[in-house]
Amino acid sequence: MLSHATTRDWLIPYADGMLASDERRPIDGHLAGCAACAAELREVRELNLLLVTLPPAPPVAFAPFWLKLQATLPQRRTIKLPTFARYRKLGLAFAVAAIAALAAASAALAAPSALPDNPLYPVKQLEESLQVAVTPSSGQLPLKLYLAGERLREAQAMAYDHKPRLAATSLRAFGVIVNDASAALKHADPRAASEDLKRLRADLDAVERANVTRNDDDADIKQVVAADLDEIDRIEQPEAVTPDPTLIIGTQATPQPTPQPTPRPTPRPEPSDDEHHR
Amino acid sequence: MAQPEVPSPEGDAEERRLIDRSASGDQEAFRQLVLRYHRLVINVAFRALGELSLAEDVAQDVFIKVHKALPTYRHDRPFKHWLHRVAANAVTDALRRRRPVVSLDGMEQPPASAVPDPQDVAARHDLQRAVRHAIANLPPHYRDTIALQAFGELSYDEIARALDIPLGTVMSRLNGAKRLLRERLGDLVRSSDDEVEANTA
Ligand SMILES: [Zn+2]
Repeated sequence: MLSHATTRDWLIPYADGMLASDERRPIDGHLAGCAACAAELREVRELNLLLVTLPPAPPVAFAPFWLKLQATLPQRRTIKLPTFARYRKLGLAFAVAAIAALAAASAALAAPSALPDNPLYPVKQLEESLQVAVTPSSGQLPLKLYLAGERLREAQAMAYDHKPRLAATSLRAFGVIVNDASAALKHADPRAASEDLKRLRADLDAVERANVTRNDDDADIKQVVAADLDEIDRIEQPEAVTPDPTLIIGTQATPQPTPQPTPRPTPRPEPSDDEHHR
Repeated sequence: MAQPEVPSPEGDAEERRLIDRSASGDQEAFRQLVLRYHRLVINVAFRALGELSLAEDVAQDVFIKVHKALPTYRHDRPFKHWLHRVAANAVTDALRRRRPVVSLDGMEQPPASAVPDPQDVAARHDLQRAVRHAIANLPPHYRDTIALQAFGELSYDEIARALDIPLGTVMSRLNGAKRLLRERLGDLVRSSDDEVEANTA
């Protein structure tokens, strides 16, 4: 027979179910014959009940939480245009214009990372369209590639967040932007353009993966992703297309009147970590 | 809106990638990491603090600390446990910074009108507040261990892994912590116990 003291030493792990059955048995025996220790056990269980019934938080929207957090992170978000350096060979005027466009973009976008489910999102859209309007034609392509990337980032977040309709909307917007930029892409440095397209493909893949991660992968998202991939395919077709005059990148944009056929990217591009091996 | 946590066995590689990229300054990767875990951290903070706006502030602090400390994180311990530990430290700090509304001395002899009634929402809130403050005032090694159980809802096993201590140590710390809590919460635990007995009799 266990003593009161020994029994009480073991009551807490006993109540937490942490004892093996051969450790429990002597305690059960003591408790059956000792009202004081049984009362003690009830108090232990009452405390446990208090500890486990602390309520969880009500639902909290992610987007505002992230925006606030992002604003306080030491390293502010930088607009990354990994292909920018390669466009530089197109000429100094282009580079200057592109730098100006980027500086303006990062300063002017008050809601640069607002997602489609954020109340600030319309502000972001407005700022983007202003940005496109004030950017000289030589800066249009990098800006559009950046905006296309933004749409995919949003689509991926919305797919993760279980918001397929918002994801599909961003994906469609991506298609429009890419279509809009297609002429400029065809006349850009073929290597740079091919890498940009490869990158966009990888990002589209990431959206599709985010979509599949949810158990109810959305057919609409799948369909728009496929349409967007077709759009990229069309741009990569070697034959010339009537160029859209508003989208040509200045006079330097056409160093080679007939663009080289761009190498076909591998059909399954690796996930979006291609900046590791540029 | 149900939003299940993403992590799964095959998600671990993806999580590892997100962690590595976040550590090297990729803010989009960090955003995805926060997307996965903000709910967990806000829940821990809310259980500890009982107030949503405060819990969100503390959760923000947790992720700022995580962001800063990520370069030192090593993959030999599950990220979730590491995060729990950062969160538990932050919430117990916040809990201690908050001056108790009612002193614990006052709570040991609650006025007759404040005798807890499980049906009474206000009384339940008082009880929860008393528990939180009692935890906040425990000696640090007890406090940090039981915070993981009460606020983080971790099992003994998970606590052992999160704190990198033997299971036996977890057991003895929780034992010590709960003894002190019972001592300090005294009448609160007992009177609601009587209530339970009366209800089930
Ligand atoms: Zn006894």
